[in-house]
Amino acid sequence: MSLLTALRNTPFREKTAWAMAAILTGGAAFYLNLVISASQALGRTSPPFIGFVIAYVVVIVIASVAVMSVLAGTSPREADAPADEREKIIADKAGNWSGYVIAAAAFGSLWHYGVHGDGHMLFHLVFLSLMLGQIAEYVFQIMLYRRDV
Amino acid sequence: MGKPPPITNRIRELRESAGGMSQSALAEAIGVTRQTVIAIELGKYSPSLESAFRIARVFETDVESVFGWQAPPLG
Repeated sequence: MSLLTALRNTPFREKTAWAMAAILTGGAAFYLNLVISASQALGRTSPPFIGFVIAYVVVIVIASVAVMSVLAGTSPREADAPADEREKIIADKAGNWSGYVIAAAAFGSLWHYGVHGDGHMLFHLVFLSLMLGQIAEYVFQIMLYRRDV
Repeated sequence: MGKPPPITNRIRELRESAGGMSQSALAEAIGVTRQTVIAIELGKYSPSLESAFRIARVFETDVESVFGWQAPPLG
């Protein structure tokens, strides 16, 4: 099966889940790399980059809209249609499971703060927890689209 | 080998009897995506009661002619 055929047979919502997971994973990796580099340069945990975080969220939103627009252009009918009953179940399950991921990551961040008392690290970890939760939601969606519901 | 799905169906057979109706055409007729029709046909997803009735109506038959239920043994 060619890549084009595989793409054509992939549901629109699964394609958007792949795209969003890729964008967010790239973003999280970039942020993690930035924090590690800055912390190494300072010799301690770098303070939160509030301005950067805001700009970064805006860039992620713009990238998401651009990718969604391109995908919607390739299958406008599917993009226009509301989610069907199976897709709603998939979205609900993925959202539910990702909630546990966020909770576990947030508690891990709090545990780290409780042990080390590093407020800057708490900020970075909570921000990354949110991103991890969002990535997990899209990954769970892809898994459920490809397996049983 | 995995256990068979509890809900069985004859959708593929009924599509072929209906002049080779495509999965896309059935999906459009009942208001779901083609991937959902594929999942139903493969027994990976049990449709809602409403969709089951819609499928039966497309093939001009009753729900029990389309879907079957393999009841687990009692006790």
